[in-house]
Amino acid sequence: MSDRPELYIESATACVVTDLGRTAGPARGLAVNGALDQFAARAANALAGNEPSDPLIEATGFDLTICPSHDVLMAVTGAPAMPTVDGRPHAPWAPLSVRAGQTVRIGISEAGLRAYVAVHGSFDVPLLMGSCAPDSMIGFGTAVTSGTSLSLLRPHPPLINPHFDATIFHFGIPSSVAHVPTVLDVIDGPDAGEFGPELGRLFDSPYTVTPRINHVGLRLSGPVPQRSVTGEVLSRGVPVGAIEAPTGDELLVLMRGRGITAGYPVLAVLTSLSQDIAAQLRPGQQIRFRRTSRAAATAAYLERRRFLDRIAVRARTAFAALSNTSQLCGGHCKRSKQ
Amino acid sequence: MTGIQIPAKIDISPCGDAALRVTVDGADTDEVWTTVHRLAARLNGGGLPGTVSAVPTYDAVLVEFDPYHTTADAVALHIRSWDSATDAAERVRSRVIDVPVLFGGAAGPDLEWVASLVDEPVARVIDIVCSREHLIRCLGGPAASAMTDGPDFRVPIPRLAIPRLRVPPGAISVAGSQTVIGPVAAPSGWRQIGRTPLTILQTEDDNVVPYRPGDRVRFFPVDERAYAALLGTPMRYRDDV
Repeated sequence: MSDRPELYIESATACVVTDLGRTAGPARGLAVNGALDQFAARAANALAGNEPSDPLIEATGFDLTICPSHDVLMAVTGAPAMPTVDGRPHAPWAPLSVRAGQTVRIGISEAGLRAYVAVHGSFDVPLLMGSCAPDSMIGFGTAVTSGTSLSLLRPHPPLINPHFDATIFHFGIPSSVAHVPTVLDVIDGPDAGEFGPELGRLFDSPYTVTPRINHVGLRLSGPVPQRSVTGEVLSRGVPVGAIEAPTGDELLVLMRGRGITAGYPVLAVLTSLSQDIAAQLRPGQQIRFRRTSRAAATAAYLERRRFLDRIAVRARTAFAALSNTSQLCGGHCKRSKQ
Repeated sequence: MTGIQIPAKIDISPCGDAALRVTVDGADTDEVWTTVHRLAARLNGGGLPGTVSAVPTYDAVLVEFDPYHTTADAVALHIRSWDSATDAAERVRSRVIDVPVLFGGAAGPDLEWVASLVDEPVARVIDIVCSREHLIRCLGGPAASAMTDGPDFRVPIPRLAIPRLRVPPGAISVAGSQTVIGPVAAPSGWRQIGRTPLTILQTEDDNVVPYRPGDRVRFFPVDERAYAALLGTPMRYRDDV
């Protein structure tokens, strides 16, 4: 065991180290990529006292088992996440203090698809254009595979309540965050006019998530609005969340790994918050689209971001107070038994 | 400044809650393209806080922004008040990249089909492709494919009816009156006429992508031996080689 804190990966499948995305990528022709559920990723880092764009783990569809070499503070988020420490269940969406050598298992329930694990101090991983986000197209990224270790930048003194053997903080994240709605809000796309009244079909009946889903996009089966104009469309940049119908018999919802340009008309675009919901959808699920306005979508998004800001401030304040306390008593705080 | 007029019309339409599509309308496609790329350069250069990225193509820029740091209206206002005629932004120097290509055979399965379509011998088709520089108009999906002008076959090249599921990295393909260099293996409906042995994307270099819109590509033919000798050489600008 080295002196450098590490996170040993006991078992992992379809798991990567990522961040909020390669924002410098699109201007150079590369996808933005990054955490598909941006809210869950931001929340994990906020709860762990990290910066919003710090690297964290994204686990898709399969359980993840990890073991830290040193005491660490982590946070597990995402709709499906069910963490246990040495077999004991702990609350997701809260800071989680783990002792050196304890085994943390992040179960993925049927409630969603992707869980996020942030560790205080974050991971020492390679960056490309300032981001660690994997890009499968260009073969860059840090996969999290069974039997490997991730270097941590620093350990964290334990924050365990001696009476309950549980982490002492709760930042009041509502339990509703673990629920994945089945309604996706969309705003009319820049090419909505090419579909005329056909666009309305988008809101008439449910769509089924097909098994063909990944970080590039989701294919949905259901009624496909037909264009009323014909002719080639010039290649243009397409936003994350764009809804297209390239084959005419399925809808394609573009996610963060999408190629940045396409020659298909954009019917509608998922709101930022609905992109996070889409990231948690499983094959076979049924969803409905709901039309919303940009103003309403922006208001809802800002509310979420401000909520995250409050969580981040509370977490930082609490952790800073604790580390000051432990420094005052030489790093060996004895808690008085009451 | 020469020849850059304020375009007849800038149309801005919403693309969800965190992006705008800015379309430039004008009679001169070159002028429209130049305007689009200078606007994108201005936005990508930190011209407006809260702007995340600007993706320029032929007649449009996709501007992505963070609604937490700015608003769609502020971005739109900034763009409408941008005066391309007085913008003193440095023009990106247009540089040349020499690209060796193994034409035909397994490397270019559609070369003979293209030759028969344009009613020229294969050797003449290769000459046409290699006889001039191709301007990179924009970078597209997947993975920064270079979309270039030309070659001038006088007839547009139709795409494949059924796209290939996998075209190898380095494929040089034509469609319409354009050529595309595809850095990575990907599905494609374009007609593949050749393949370059160069490694295009370089993930050990933080620039990754060795070209930008406005650069020019000069193709030159190589045989299988030269192709094998050059395999894996990083793609570079002519003056950096």
